Amino acid sequence: MFTPKPVFAAASLAAAALLLTACTATSTTDEEPGLSLDLDNLATTTTPGTEPVDEVKWNLPYEPMSLDPIYGFNYAENTVTANLCESLLRLTPDLKTEPGLATSVSQPDDTTIVYTIREGVTFWNGNPLTAEDVAYSLGRQTGPDTTTYWSDYFLNVDSVTATGPYEVTVKMKQPDVLFTQAMGSAAGAIVEKAAAEADGEQFGTPNGNLQCTGPFSLTKWNSGKSIELAKNPSYWDSALMPKVEKLSFSFIADESTAVNALRTGDIDGQYFYLPPAGLSQLQNSDTVATAYGKSFVFWTLAPINAEGPLGDQKIREALSLAVDRTAIAKVVFQGVAIPAPTLVGPDAWGYGEDTFAKAYAKFGVEPDIEEAKQLVADAGSPKEPIVLAVQGSSAVHEQTANLIQAAGQAIGLDVQTKVIPVEQFGNLYFDPKAREGLDGFFTTNYADFADPLGVYSFFHTSNSHDYIGWDGADAEIEEALATLDESKRAELVATIQDKVTEGLPWIPLEYEPVTLVQNKRISSATASFAYLYAPWAATIGGVK
Amino acid sequence: MSLGPYLLRRFGGLLLVLLVTSFLVFGLLYLAPGSPLAFILGPRGGTPEQIAAVTEQYHLNDPFFVRYAAWLGDILRGDLGYSIVYRQDVSALISSRVGTTLALVSLAAIIISVVGIAVGTFAALRGGWSDQLTSTLAAIGLSTPSFVIGVALISVFAVGLGWFPTFGSGTGGVDTLWHLTLPALALSVASAAYLARITRAAVLEESGREHVQTATVRGLATGHIVRHHVLRNSLIPIVTVLGLTIATLIAGAVVVENVFALDGLGSLLVRAILQRDFAVVQAVILVLVVAFVVVNAIVDFLYTFIDPRIALGSRQ
Repeated sequence: MFTPKPVFAAASLAAAALLLTACTATSTTDEEPGLSLDLDNLATTTTPGTEPVDEVKWNLPYEPMSLDPIYGFNYAENTVTANLCESLLRLTPDLKTEPGLATSVSQPDDTTIVYTIREGVTFWNGNPLTAEDVAYSLGRQTGPDTTTYWSDYFLNVDSVTATGPYEVTVKMKQPDVLFTQAMGSAAGAIVEKAAAEADGEQFGTPNGNLQCTGPFSLTKWNSGKSIELAKNPSYWDSALMPKVEKLSFSFIADESTAVNALRTGDIDGQYFYLPPAGLSQLQNSDTVATAYGKSFVFWTLAPINAEGPLGDQKIREALSLAVDRTAIAKVVFQGVAIPAPTLVGPDAWGYGEDTFAKAYAKFGVEPDIEEAKQLVADAGSPKEPIVLAVQGSSAVHEQTANLIQAAGQAIGLDVQTKVIPVEQFGNLYFDPKAREGLDGFFTTNYADFADPLGVYSFFHTSNSHDYIGWDGADAEIEEALATLDESKRAELVATIQDKVTEGLPWIPLEYEPVTLVQNKRISSATASFAYLYAPWAATIGGVK
Repeated sequence: MSLGPYLLRRFGGLLLVLLVTSFLVFGLLYLAPGSPLAFILGPRGGTPEQIAAVTEQYHLNDPFFVRYAAWLGDILRGDLGYSIVYRQDVSALISSRVGTTLALVSLAAIIISVVGIAVGTFAALRGGWSDQLTSTLAAIGLSTPSFVIGVALISVFAVGLGWFPTFGSGTGGVDTLWHLTLPALALSVASAAYLARITRAAVLEESGREHVQTATVRGLATGHIVRHHVLRNSLIPIVTVLGLTIATLIAGAVVVENVFALDGLGSLLVRAILQRDFAVVQAVILVLVVAFVVVNAIVDFLYTFIDPRIALGSRQ
């Protein structure tokens, strides 16, 4: 769920070009009414496209590292695999779940989960999907030797067994509500056992032979250049039979080039997880339509040094109070962001909505400089600098850091920034050596499913995301993870949210809607966060 | 020196250069902070046990000389190594990108030599107002970063006029030529401007030499004098600069590759350096060094044609 967003290919000079475009973009938006997004009217789908289409050219912000779902835990990777490899559950455009490759799930007791596998589903090569494939796909992510990027979800899995030709039983060491929900993400994606075993380490690379069941099949991966998908004519779900014959992906990392390619129609669409610098050019273009979709993604400042000023809860509170989130949404995100009072936003309330709404209403986003100053004074007005890591070649990082610097200055805190190249930024998440000399970093992050606990479970002291060893809700988190009853869990998670929002192991900043840009000749791509885990291109069709 | 011994000496020199560069690059990469762990373990990182296992598997903590020796041994067996970041053989990564780089650099080289020599000669011979103008243009070309030129070219010729595509390297043949025109232009502006200035200086110098004055006094046609007495003699500095420029274009193309989203060696190299993907960095550096040496050998050959008094491999 952490998502360092390694947008690997952006070179720093190219980024300077982005900044140039950014300047022009800002000057144009000044004359127009600023974009203002309302949480209640974010899109889930776009106008239906009904006509068949020969080819759709989509862009990714960088080339995927792998298409094997167990290594698919980032924007570009998931954008592709969502159309290729299906999960046991399917995330719907309105961010709920429906049956996927499992037709039903039952839990005879708290630590046993039985999946009934859909019959009549075949892999692209024609082989039928069996319980063996499912058991293999989950089993390879279980145990101490697994290399899956999803290992957090499989920590409590004891065994995965095919207990019938179409039945798979998962035994848990202890109840874990995150595992069952994660089966709707790429963690629950099913690959063919025989193909994966034959390929070994090559599986999911340009030289491998990926085998899945999705509405599109992988035709070719030209390393460095493109990934080509074709319609799977024998797809099992007629409701999602693609209207597009061929779906190809390019890897334009430079945002201004991507924006230009969209404007000229050289590419037909792209998902942006952060609004691109040339957003106003896209909004003014006659060639493309832009939609903003429901999303789990949020933008946050993660303190990482328990010994520094941010190790002191009072200083974190003061900084959080001094930050003008409305200004960040407007200036940094060009209006495509929603100021965040809590880390997890309303789109992720998959259950207990009333409970979460009540808990959410307790917190606001209005800055209070006087109180913040008082908190700094109470904390003894520390003079050491607060050094924030800023991802190289990212305007969003840099501009947010500047606003936080100003907020710090207003309340007597010395906030400094240090640029870390995008390729090394990912190491900050787990390598204490990479974090030396730094007090915090910015990141986008998200829950993989509609449960705020997916994020709040980060703040258990045993979790690798709890960088400063915050332990204010350990007991509640443990209890919530084992609470299958949703209304009870909602109460617990709301309590955890109260504590996390007061203790600030991470400082919430903004909620980030999905920015979807489509050429006007097509329509109907999924507009919400579901594009990362469900076949978003299967609904695309031509507009008359 | 005749061709055989010359090639042999060049080849020996190449091996030595390769050995020294690979050692230096490996050493510098080893000393620089950072690791490829994030790319192996994924965004969530891993448990301390997983980190230890991966470090062990890929020998990330082995002493410098052990790692370098292992890499050298693989190279001697013809194995360029395995990219731990891409989970692919390095040879596959390189071979799929070398074509784009080759096409881009060749196209840029043609533009640089044609435009640079023509403009430089024109400026030197016409003098006065035309010289002022071309010198100013050359100064602007030299001082404008290639990504600015790239973005400007895209805005005008791709978005505005729609004559060229905005990105990519095309599907081969004429399509590739069409796709690479704008990137090659962006890549060549600075070098063409530089070559124009060198050409201008060389032509001016030759034009003032006694043999040219003699030819003029004897009443030979201006065109003949320019071709046979001025340009021919200016070619040595021109070819030298051209050779060096082309060799540096290969790695210098990275910025242009990024702006035009091209799958070239330059961006592969820069990314590999930042990701600490040792095998890829080493392999691309080897390719660059070989290209550099080959281009220089070609320049050496050209010298002997331009000026028969220069012997192959001589120090004159």
